[in-house]
Amino acid sequence: MASLFKQISAVTSMNVRSIPQRAAMSIASVVAVALAISVLLFFLALGHGLSQTVQGSGANDVAIVLRDGAGAELNSVVTRDQLNIIAQAPGVVRRGQAPIISGELLVIVDGNKRSTNTNANMPFRGIGPEGLSLRHNVHIVQGRMFRPGTNEIVVGAGLLREFSGFEFGRTIRLRGTTWQVVGVFEAPGTVFDSELWADVAVTQSLFNRPNVYQTMRVQMTSPAAVQTLKRFVHDDPRLQLQVLSEREYYAQQASQSTGQFTIIAWFLGVVMAIGALAGALNTMYASVAARSAEIATLRIIGFSGYAAFFGTMVEALMLSALGGVLGLVISFIAFNGRSTSTLSSGFTQLVFRFELSPGIIVSAIIVAVIIGLFGGFLPGIRAARVRPQLELAAQ
Amino acid sequence: MNRITYLLAHILLGVLAFLVFTRVAPGPLFSAFQLLFFILSITLIIWRGINIGWRNWAWLILLIPVVNVGFLLFAPSKERFPKRNFIEITPDRSTTVDDVRLVRWNLARNSVRTILLSVSILIAFLLFGVLVSFNVAITDVRTAPNRMVTLSKINFTESLPIAYFDRVLHTDGVLAATHMNWFGGYYQDQRRGFMAVFAVDPDSYLRVYQDDLHLTPQARETFLHERTALLVPRNIADRYHWRVGQHIPINSNIFTNGTNGSHVWDFTIAGIFETPDGNSQANSVLIRYDYFNDTITFGRDRIGWISFLTTSATVNDRVAHAIDTRFANSQDETSTQDAAAFNRSFAAQLGNIALVVTLVVGAAFAAILLIVGTTMALAVRERTKEVGVLKTLGFSSGRILRMVLGESMLLSLIGATLGLLAAAGVLYILSHLNGGGGGGFHLYPSVIGISAAIAIALGLVTGILPALSAYRMNIIEALGRR
Repeated sequence: MASLFKQISAVTSMNVRSIPQRAAMSIASVVAVALAISVLLFFLALGHGLSQTVQGSGANDVAIVLRDGAGAELNSVVTRDQLNIIAQAPGVVRRGQAPIISGELLVIVDGNKRSTNTNANMPFRGIGPEGLSLRHNVHIVQGRMFRPGTNEIVVGAGLLREFSGFEFGRTIRLRGTTWQVVGVFEAPGTVFDSELWADVAVTQSLFNRPNVYQTMRVQMTSPAAVQTLKRFVHDDPRLQLQVLSEREYYAQQASQSTGQFTIIAWFLGVVMAIGALAGALNTMYASVAARSAEIATLRIIGFSGYAAFFGTMVEALMLSALGGVLGLVISFIAFNGRSTSTLSSGFTQLVFRFELSPGIIVSAIIVAVIIGLFGGFLPGIRAARVRPQLELAAQ
Repeated sequence: MNRITYLLAHILLGVLAFLVFTRVAPGPLFSAFQLLFFILSITLIIWRGINIGWRNWAWLILLIPVVNVGFLLFAPSKERFPKRNFIEITPDRSTTVDDVRLVRWNLARNSVRTILLSVSILIAFLLFGVLVSFNVAITDVRTAPNRMVTLSKINFTESLPIAYFDRVLHTDGVLAATHMNWFGGYYQDQRRGFMAVFAVDPDSYLRVYQDDLHLTPQARETFLHERTALLVPRNIADRYHWRVGQHIPINSNIFTNGTNGSHVWDFTIAGIFETPDGNSQANSVLIRYDYFNDTITFGRDRIGWISFLTTSATVNDRVAHAIDTRFANSQDETSTQDAAAFNRSFAAQLGNIALVVTLVVGAAFAAILLIVGTTMALAVRERTKEVGVLKTLGFSSGRILRMVLGESMLLSLIGATLGLLAAAGVLYILSHLNGGGGGGFHLYPSVIGISAAIAIALGLVTGILPALSAYRMNIIEALGRR
């Protein structure tokens, strides 16, 4: 047994050291694996980044109230009366006498997408006076917050990265009225980073939706209090509304929008991996053919067929692992952390960053190893079956 | 028109392949293979025109590999092609048939390698065919050049006052106009997918979209006169198994029905219509604006957008300017643009799809370029001695160069053909997911044409260096090298 291991390691090191003799084909096979892995990682990182951004937006102890069955903010309606009833519900945090709630109205306005220079849907959110304090990780990085009751806008830093038209200090005409961008806020890793905010009362009147909100955010005393609010709303027949914790709401939204990227990633990744596998098999068959005299010699001096098999397997695995690592390097350099945007499930643009996770990296490595295993198996069998006398006689 | 471009692209591909092969290595078997390719292409077009079923596609996709594998298998193998045949080859023009035999023999003697290379080439063309067709399908919705839309300047989801319709209709240069509202419709369960339900003014809609909808006169009459009438495209009717005359409830995820307090409206199917390939109305479900407007609880007397035709595409800019200036500085400013431009910018909202497609397809082709290129170099290096023998027998260097190029070209064309057929299959499956709700994806003629050009370029690029090295090979060195 020990001698078999010795044989395998001897043959493996011979194989590996002879790779430079077949440099061109080995490089071709490594690059093919690397490109397949990069494509897989590209879409997985896209989906993961999007999902992380949406999921990262919600707090456990903030409740979001929508019209029952609305599914998304844009289709929801919450009236002022309903808002007032919920403001009196148990478990709502108060500052002095005033409950910390925010009735919100989301309208869509056009911005200009820098990468394609085309119009794109920007979320323009009217928020209540407590809207900012309901969102914990948001802070103003330039200028100041809008003053309630004025036509002032603050803009998310993510939106500014990908879209033009709302730069700091700029005046914008919407519905015959002039608005001014007075501040820039940062809400890293959340959907809010790609939004425009203004006073909800001004938004209602200027967008012709008097006394109508779409959603309502409520600061609850604890995550458990969200459940209390759910019961409260359920028991009141005047409230045909749905209550979710912000985290639940965004988890739902994330699952809607990221499924498609995962499907695309695996479809393209597997198709390209099959191509890379064909390349790897080709390279390994060529390698076995090139070393047939060498393998025959080894067999004659007493090496076993297993050694020849494992030597080939290890060479294939090394090449594909190298390809996998190269693919990872390409991913880290070319797109990991890069900002991009797409149309989210809320029908507005969402800015997010490509994000590789340990799970994604592991699955990419597994794909590379699978290519290596399949790529080495059949050529390995051929190597083990080399008939020494015939092979040497043919030389 | 569509079918003719298809036909032309195929014939062009066939002729190019034919020319390349008859130049490089003429011979009856090659011609037979190319003829088969021709017949298949034309059959494909005829079938596409009459919308073949998935079974025919499956046959078609099976047929090509069978033909090619058979072609490889029945090529004379090492044993059935004894050495004396080599000696019998005389180097004058009358034996050109043997060049063909040699090319085929070279591909067939290492059939594992040939199959592996074909698979990797297939993969690249499969990705190319699927991704580029997908990109074309979503960015290039076919609309007439004189079709325009007037939308709210803020965003297309904002509505406009209904009074704007008349003013647009009577603008100089406007031939016909209609208005549409987004209904946010779905059938029974929101999770089973949305429908593009539009509330339209029947009379003017059917005038503006008269060339887009193939409708029976009876369906037309019903839609013009019945308040609750509904028109559905064939694919959606098939998906839900709807029949003309059936009563169906449609939900809205936006509006509330004031007559019953719910989000459900009842409709009667007035007709099921067909649209030309890739038409903008291919997935539109149509309901009447008067029924919609009278029953909604908010947003009454507002319209989503105005779709109109100009008298000629040359006046588009002037009309757009006239309309937008008219409503400038009002509460509801407008933005008027070509329907095609609007569709493009809407597709761009999803992301820079063209760039992503280019990157992925580029990666696939870079990989096969390396794999096929290095393998061809190896194949020629392995045959150094043979090349020496051929040259000794009097084969000219040019002839050997053509033989090597013919080999890489044949390989590349086999892979491309298989890849495009696989792509057609994948697109067919994609467009028939959800019982027809997946959108009308198919292989575009332009994609086939570009693929043919790429296949030829790939054959040349991967073959040229090995072919040149065979061309330059010196007999004494070739025979001496081990």
